Amino acid sequence: MDGTKQGNNMDSRQNNDCLKQKESNQLQGKQCGRREFLSRALKAAAVGSAAMVSGCGTGLLGSSEESALKWQEYFKKNYRLMTPEEKDETIARLERLAKLRKGVDIQMSSTEPVEDVLFGYAFNLTRCEGFMECVAACVKENNLDRKSQTQYIRIFEMEPGEMTPESGNGKYFHKVPVENHFYMGVQCFHCENAPCIKACPTKATWREPDGIVVVDYDWCIGCRYCMAACPYYGRRFNWNEPQVPVKEMTKKQHYLGNRMRAKGQMEKCTFCVQRSRAGRLPACVEACPTGARVFGNLLDPKSEIRFVLKHKKVFRLKEELGTDPKFWYFID
Amino acid sequence: MKTPTLKSYFFRILPALLLILSGLQVYAGQGGVVATIKKATAPFNDEERVASVPLLPGDTVLVKTKYQGGIFWTETRKDKVERFKCSQCHNNKDVTIAGAAEMAHGDITSVHGGKQKPLSCFTCHKKDERDFLVTEKGLKVDMDHSYRMCGQCHFRQQKDWVGGAHGKRVSFWAGKRVVKNCTSCHDPHSPLFEKRWPRTYSRPLVK
Repeated sequence: MDGTKQGNNMDSRQNNDCLKQKESNQLQGKQCGRREFLSRALKAAAVGSAAMVSGCGTGLLGSSEESALKWQEYFKKNYRLMTPEEKDETIARLERLAKLRKGVDIQMSSTEPVEDVLFGYAFNLTRCEGFMECVAACVKENNLDRKSQTQYIRIFEMEPGEMTPESGNGKYFHKVPVENHFYMGVQCFHCENAPCIKACPTKATWREPDGIVVVDYDWCIGCRYCMAACPYYGRRFNWNEPQVPVKEMTKKQHYLGNRMRAKGQMEKCTFCVQRSRAGRLPACVEACPTGARVFGNLLDPKSEIRFVLKHKKVFRLKEELGTDPKFWYFID
Repeated sequence: MKTPTLKSYFFRILPALLLILSGLQVYAGQGGVVATIKKATAPFNDEERVASVPLLPGDTVLVKTKYQGGIFWTETRKDKVERFKCSQCHNNKDVTIAGAAEMAHGDITSVHGGKQKPLSCFTCHKKDERDFLVTEKGLKVDMDHSYRMCGQCHFRQQKDWVGGAHGKRVSFWAGKRVVKNCTSCHDPHSPLFEKRWPRTYSRPLVK
């Protein structure tokens, strides 16, 4: 304890940092001083090793700058423990790495959630006609792997009276809509009480204050417990290194959103966090040709989503599980 | 025998009290997101809160109805109609080209109103002022405000459109509310969406 005190008194800025980190440290169950010491030691080691590696010149590891950046990336914190400066640093590193590796100029952001915003989503079962424009737009916007054809959204063709997509046809490929059928879209429901968050052993996934359930890809160890825990099949796993042609890549990225994932990492729908936090609609909503998708702020009494919840017959999928999803289905 | 004091009574009922309290605690935590929504009644000022709310796009008009949050805008129609103004041809002068009507509007087939009561051109278009539309009650309607025409029959859809359950907003959930006009998605002459192939396909969930 004494050491901690002294250390704090020596540097007032560090003291402030410590106060800020108090909450996050409680999460980790560690003391401020020890944590600071460890992270500094690691940083020193990182810088030293980077210098060592860069000394070897360009070789097996690619350019020396690239390997140095990769090395520094390796020792960064969980996104929730990062200070704003550290977030900016890692974003700068990731932007530079993308440039070095693929020659792409990406613009990454770490836009924070807006206060008094809780995102909600509604899906009109009467209007959806199964054109799957949303799926294509989602793949493009979120830089999903083209090789394994990862898709966040699934559209099921359903017989009248069916209530769960488990009995629906998710593999239809014919002209739509078919008479006497309805179409049901399923994606991540951003549960308030999300089972996937509880299942994660590394705290790599969490619920943001605006209700979006996100993944810190770099803290994901790929155990897929969250995938097993999700009752809605909302999560996707990268079995291979995701492949996106540079031409088709979405350059505007968010740290928690559509930045490039790596092999062995979990990913999922983020309500297009890079768009929604900037006031824009998610790609699926914007692409929907029938207006079956409604997105908005649940805490805003004048929003469309609130109108739907107030005036329409709504239900949520598997509500009895107590997951409390923020995704409603409604009929006209 | 000693009579039980108040204190001993308290200790006897303590487990029951604790049980009730914990039950209340759990009950208060329930309700989840629905309870949160019900509590949120304060207005949300998009312009102040969201950093990058967009300016009002140029091709919009103020809708003549109000929604739950006040005024809103919709996309214009006139600038998307080819060869507007209609009065360029439809005026007092005689049209001398043979088959002019066929040439000008041959691409339009009216599939609207069902087989029993199909709509004709002049159900909606104003005969003596071709730049405008006219309602059943004889009200002259600007083409940009064509939602007023549709609402005559499709009043349920119009109510949903005003509220936000039918149709969609243009690009942004924040900022000034700009929604698609009826004619942005539906062809007014044949408003039903045609059958077509889906844009993509899904892989099977379980192999």
